[in-house]
Amino acid sequence: MYSILAVDDSASMRQMVSFTLKNAGFNVVEAVDGQDAFEKANSRDFNLVLTDQNMPRMDGIGLTRKLRENPKFKATPILILTTESSDQMKQAGRAAGATGWLVKPFDPAKLIEVIGKVIR
Amino acid sequence: MMATDASAASLSDPAHLFWAAELQGHLLTATHDLSRLQTLLDDSHEAMQSGFFGLLGVIEDAPAASAGDTSSAATANRHMASAIKALQFQDLASQLINHTSRRLRNCADRLACDTFAGSEEDGEAVIEAAPLQPNPVTQSEMDTGFVELF
Repeated sequence: MYSILAVDDSASMRQMVSFTLKNAGFNVVEAVDGQDAFEKANSRDFNLVLTDQNMPRMDGIGLTRKLRENPKFKATPILILTTESSDQMKQAGRAAGATGWLVKPFDPAKLIEVIGKVIR
Repeated sequence: MMATDASAASLSDPAHLFWAAELQGHLLTATHDLSRLQTLLDDSHEAMQSGFFGLLGVIEDAPAASAGDTSSAATANRHMASAIKALQFQDLASQLINHTSRRLRNCADRLACDTFAGSEEDGEAVIEAAPLQPNPVTQSEMDTGFVELF
């Protein structure tokens, strides 16, 4: 079973994302911000990271950059799911090594479809 | 330095002082109203989410679902997807409220600092930092956001 690390500082968003992913058959581990996610990512393997952008302590782009520094996460798909839709922010995400940019609110079927395309 | 000059001028002008106090009052009232709106939003969202997941449990246990009624299951899935999308409003609205509150608080604090600086004995004023980034939420509808794979 594929494991996904779902990162968001909003408890309600974490619940929505987790429910959607578990309903689609994924194993989900939640993290409350980038720092928490970074620690969890280093303690076990994940097939994909789905992260929010605006979070305390470490944001989604910062998390992506930190994960990409580690060879273990070179090929792990990282999707940023955020309210941010500016080109500037999107390009920053791309430069940090993100696999894709998804703008909230997400549609459950669309999210699962995108994950299905990139997960490994 | 401009703030100090302005303060000195302001303090000698009762009309300006009154106007500044009134404006600061409006800004703080708006901030408190947003804070109450956030509480109302959180409470109602919690109730809706609890109702949603409770109802989902009942649907999953219902005889039609157990018997493999694909038509009912598809309809339930469609409604469920729609509810999941709509329930994300709390996250978007909270970010908007937080951003706007910080901006208003910054205006109120700066106004107080510029106008009343030197007139109080309780030390240096603390000014709420204004958000460095523009508002992160640009959506005005709950339509599904775009997806871009790099």
